[in-house]
Amino acid sequence: MKMRKGLWIQVLVLALVFSLILVLVNNISTNLIRSGLGFDFGWLNRTAGFALAEHVLPYSSSDNYAWALLIGWLNSLKVIFASLIMATLIGFFVGILSAGRNTLLRFLASLYVTFIRQIPLLLQLLFWYFVGFLSIQGNLIGPFKGILNISNQGIVILGINLSAEFSALLIGLSVYSGAYISEIVRGGIQSVSRGQWEAFRSLGLAENIGLIKVIMPQALPAILPGLTSQYLNLAKNSTLAIAVGYSDIYAISDTIITQTGRAIEGFILLLISFFFLNIIISNCMELLNNRLLSYQKH
Amino acid sequence: MFSNLINSLVVISIVFIFLFSLLLVFKWLLFSSQWGVVTQNLPLYAFGVFPVDQRWRPCLWLLILAFLSIVTIFKPRWSWFGKVLPIAWVGVIPLGVGLLSGGLGLLPVESRHWGGFTLTILLMSCSALLAFPLGIMFAIGRQSKLPLIKYFSALYIDALRAVPLISILFFGQLLIPLFLPLGVEINRVSRAVISFTLFVAAYIAEDIRGGWQAIPNSQLEASKALGLSQAQTIRFIILPQALTIALPALTNQAIGLLQNTSLMSILGLVELLGISRSILANPVFIGRYIEVYVWLAGIYWVICTVMALLLRQLEEKVSIQRRIRKNV
Amino acid sequence: MSHIIRANNLVKSFTKGLRALDDISMVVNKQEVLVVMGPSGSGKSTLIRTFNGLETFDSGKLEVVGVPLYSNHDERNIRAIRRKVGMVFQQFNLFPHLSILENIILAPMKVQKLTRIEAEEHAMHLLSQMGITKQARKYPSQLSGGEQQRVAIARALALKPELLLFDEPTSALDPERVNEVLDAMRTLAQKGMTMVVVTHEVGFAREVADRVLFMDSGKLIEMTTPDIFFSNAKHERSRKFLNQIEK
Repeated sequence: MKMRKGLWIQVLVLALVFSLILVLVNNISTNLIRSGLGFDFGWLNRTAGFALAEHVLPYSSSDNYAWALLIGWLNSLKVIFASLIMATLIGFFVGILSAGRNTLLRFLASLYVTFIRQIPLLLQLLFWYFVGFLSIQGNLIGPFKGILNISNQGIVILGINLSAEFSALLIGLSVYSGAYISEIVRGGIQSVSRGQWEAFRSLGLAENIGLIKVIMPQALPAILPGLTSQYLNLAKNSTLAIAVGYSDIYAISDTIITQTGRAIEGFILLLISFFFLNIIISNCMELLNNRLLSYQKH
Repeated sequence: MFSNLINSLVVISIVFIFLFSLLLVFKWLLFSSQWGVVTQNLPLYAFGVFPVDQRWRPCLWLLILAFLSIVTIFKPRWSWFGKVLPIAWVGVIPLGVGLLSGGLGLLPVESRHWGGFTLTILLMSCSALLAFPLGIMFAIGRQSKLPLIKYFSALYIDALRAVPLISILFFGQLLIPLFLPLGVEINRVSRAVISFTLFVAAYIAEDIRGGWQAIPNSQLEASKALGLSQAQTIRFIILPQALTIALPALTNQAIGLLQNTSLMSILGLVELLGISRSILANPVFIGRYIEVYVWLAGIYWVICTVMALLLRQLEEKVSIQRRIRKNV
Repeated sequence: MSHIIRANNLVKSFTKGLRALDDISMVVNKQEVLVVMGPSGSGKSTLIRTFNGLETFDSGKLEVVGVPLYSNHDERNIRAIRRKVGMVFQQFNLFPHLSILENIILAPMKVQKLTRIEAEEHAMHLLSQMGITKQARKYPSQLSGGEQQRVAIARALALKPELLLFDEPTSALDPERVNEVLDAMRTLAQKGMTMVVVTHEVGFAREVADRVLFMDSGKLIEMTTPDIFFSNAKHERSRKFLNQIEK
């Protein structure tokens, strides 16, 4: 009897879920037919008609929606990749400090981490954009003119021009993700047994050398999984670009959907682009992980 | 010796940068900050554009919340209190919705007039309350032996975790009306709550699954040997332990949810960040970004800290009674 | 019907052709205490765990407390068996999130649908039998290993079982705590409880067991009275085993 009862409950749950889905699909199809939109991707070929301030590949407003989306995707990739590197540098630097022996530095590191984690990322991005860049009058750094130029137009470094939007997003994402990464790095370092520290110290190795040659290689396997999920978070968080006016994949999808009303198709395309972003990041990390493991075995 | 020199240089430069920024902050606080943008708009930050003569309602709700938080954190020794407290916390959320929307003798207030800090707290608490059972359901579904339920749950959890929150919120606003039958409409706040709920449930499910997998198999064997059914084992043995183990992660989810309500400011709700952006758009207060952002950072900081304290109480209570990891 | 367990030609294979149970046929009678001995990996744990369906088997037939079990592992029959068969584990396996009392009343309330008052009354009675009434409101982590194991015995007794299975109940205990658990088991045996006990405690086996079953590599080597087994074992492997544990 018991087994029967269990089976019936499961059948009932499934039936409920499916009828719910059926009702939703039915509603959406009547709504789509009524609004005359239907479901197709033909609009991708139509002219976009909006300009983009930033594009890695040639783009003009007479290009089609599909091309605009690709530009947005590349813009996303650009800012994600750049922030990922900076966040990693910040994260490892702070993480090592907070696992270190200097009490003052440990205190400053924990101050940074708690401060950053208690404030919404969106607020931080707005701060970097409106306060950090747009309110600069003139050039912030006089003596380095020509090498490093920071103004309300963005950053010019060695002739490379970074827009204010890109720079604010880059700094905001890096500082934010850096705090989370530093916690993972600290945890990884602390997972290495104390004996290892004592061992390299007793061999007369300097702190820095021991950290790089002895502790880090052992901490990395514990760090990498957390790092991967932080990178994936960073990629997702990069969509807040819209708040500072940077044209990433989400901002462009938003514009296109407002223009065409193609919400469902737009959602599906966004899903697919994030699917690819996630695959790229996870596969790179997987590769790194394997390289690391095989390197350690030799 | 060489590395010592570099170390000292790093320490000195970090401390120098820290002191320099501290100096800048003090200089700004003393000489250039103008707090009119905050002090003149306090009611707006608190209640948004809620009708002035009805402001006592959100005010009352916030006071009740503050009262509950204080008694929870400082734990008075009233014995009846421990039993009432959880019910009070769950009940205060629908009470808030009732107080804001009106009805039952209160003047109805449309949701587009809700705003400010009140709306932030409302979005957070409603979504958390709804997402929690949904998350548990998906966690159970993912561990189910029935392949269809299992893969459906896994697909849901993985898909929602793969996409950015802002896109869920945006498409929630656009698509939820499309999924409803003709003639049925729901307001922007409800759509936001639904979107947050669907999103957070996936993360909660994943956290609970983490706790679930930390439970040793011997617990399940003991439960089976006592003749408990699958459902009873989940209800009485697995879930209580999985939730306790997952509690720190769930605390982070709740704090993350509070911070993420700020995304609705991009999508047309005037919650705390949204109302601040409208205030900044007012020509009178043009350019007073720093004051507003510092003020907001302070509020979020305080609320996150209070939430962390509240949930730490829960963690302590649970871990004192049930030292789960120690003896398995 | 005087038997409580009847096993006919039980076979369970692991991959690589190893057999955890190799053609086991045996009977356990009512009110009998059977001690199962054997070197580690001999299959004695597997055997006792098949008796309440925690392990499956590949072929043969098993009948426990009058309920038949075949290799197809009928969930309904297994639950019927578990309602009448209690089990005590090596690692106690108490539920850490429940108090001692809650640990004991859970199954009576949820499986036998007793009221809380009935269940608690019976639980307190069992706890007093085990000599740990004072600990009823504490949590498992606050008890010593020996106390935890006595709680586990009380928990197994709460369903008023016809048969109790013990899977190395004293192996995880500190040496000075072993006797309090063995004493509790001795008392149960005197009251006529049918018990199957996997253990290395020779003293307990000599004194309490009606019969001793010796296993090696999944095979039932011999099943005889403790007198014969400990002083005059028939098989070479039994003698070798006894030599080793007596050292």
